[in-house]
Amino acid sequence: MITAAALCPAPPLLARELTGGDPVLPELREACLAAVRALQRTRPEVIAIVGPAEQTGVWDSSSRLDLGIYAPAVGGGGTAGLPPSLGLGVMLLDQAGYNGRRLLQAAGDEEPASGCDGIGAELARLPERTALLVMADGSARRSRRAPGALDERSAGFDAGVEQAIRSGDMAALSKTDQVLARELMATGWPSWQVLARALRGTRPPCEVLYTGDPFGVAYLVAVLLAAPA
Amino acid sequence: MSQPRPPGELRLGRHSFAPHQLLVMAIVNRTPDSFYRPGITWDEGAAMERVHEVVAEGADIIDIGGVPAAPGAEVDAGEEIRRTAGFVAAVRAAYPDIVISSDTWRHEVGREVCAAGADLLNDSWGGHDAKLAEVAAEFGAALVCAHVGHQRPRTRPFRVSYPDVLADVLDQTLAQARRAVAAGVDPARIVIDPAHDFGKNTWHSLEITRRLDEMTATGWPVLVSLSNKDFVGETLNVPPDERVTGTLAATAISAWHGARIYRVHQVRQTRQVLNMVSAIRGDIPPARTVRGLA
Repeated sequence: MITAAALCPAPPLLARELTGGDPVLPELREACLAAVRALQRTRPEVIAIVGPAEQTGVWDSSSRLDLGIYAPAVGGGGTAGLPPSLGLGVMLLDQAGYNGRRLLQAAGDEEPASGCDGIGAELARLPERTALLVMADGSARRSRRAPGALDERSAGFDAGVEQAIRSGDMAALSKTDQVLARELMATGWPSWQVLARALRGTRPPCEVLYTGDPFGVAYLVAVLLAAPA
Repeated sequence: MSQPRPPGELRLGRHSFAPHQLLVMAIVNRTPDSFYRPGITWDEGAAMERVHEVVAEGADIIDIGGVPAAPGAEVDAGEEIRRTAGFVAAVRAAYPDIVISSDTWRHEVGREVCAAGADLLNDSWGGHDAKLAEVAAEFGAALVCAHVGHQRPRTRPFRVSYPDVLADVLDQTLAQARRAVAAGVDPARIVIDPAHDFGKNTWHSLEITRRLDEMTATGWPVLVSLSNKDFVGETLNVPPDERVTGTLAATAISAWHGARIYRVHQVRQTRQVLNMVSAIRGDIPPARTVRGLA
């Protein structure tokens, strides 16, 4: 039974250790932590982290992010090969002081909608009170200086995703265009699919805690409270 | 990984350079939109003026580019040739002896600039076009083998990560060097480049600078392109026009670690730093010593 879902982006700079002397985006970190705390308030027995990765798969629940893959001088000691989106989700749970059960679910970048549906359906079927921490980013082509440079279509695309989430419209979210997402470097697509399927048939109220694209990548932090069964 | 080779002579054009000779490669971009002082040498007259200036300041190599590294307006091979090949010929005519480098990843461009007199193909995009090495072999030109991770030309790094960035740098650059030798490029004309900022975040670029001695230990001549780049800007939190000091600090460390070619905007300052480090290393004598000696 799903109690709630939190959406957080997964930029490496979410890890304070990676931004050097400047906190860079403390408000984004705060919003992500607030979203995780909102999950905790629903008294979940398990928090499932869903994040995009090269391959679909479940990771050991004791895994930790290896910061060394981004900053050799800083990191070391994490779990080799752990998809960064999951590692950043784990970091948020740790920072929020969550000690309960975790499930680390990677959704492959190339996973078709049917595969993502399967993952979402499985999460929805879990007998425990389950909260979802869904790691997902919008387009990385939001500005001239963006990682993927500007693609004019990105604003409309991200607005569509945001609108679907704000209105709790899981059917609309599930229709997000996979090909366009790839062209716009919106890496969150598999996560959105999993979320849309996991909450299918509900229209959860939504609170948006952060939205912005300060470095040309669309970040959205939101909490969706699933209606009581 | 390849066996280390003894650091040997580096051949560029008709010149041969010993390992302790540190070379300054001056950037002259025939582009309207490069990141540092955009468009300053877009005009051909201004570009030739710049060549005169950097030669006077002590540049050993002129690196002529026609396409910015950042994403932007499409520059196809034909346009790149129009921007650079004629200019290479003009520089060659003005300076028969200077080493001319072409900053290109395309073999079609490589062919034209070599025909116009270029001695070195500076492939910043890590062997994206495998035929470039064949062109270097055909013309007896030198080739730079750079590390770009998984980046395609003119793309920015997006959340790149490495279990060990320097291991990846060595794997990629040495593999390219082997392929170049197999394609017939003279081994004495092959240079490797860790390519700061390319396919790397700032932490990665700092790491390859810190561990550059592991790269020079391979024996292949190492080129570093540090000049005013984002890793300097992010480290010191300064915009492009305030990065010279940080660039020169990284230059000094690279020289201490044994890099041999420095691709730069500031020729005179770089030459001074290299001479200072060479003197500290004991590779060259100081210019003039009187203090306490009179």
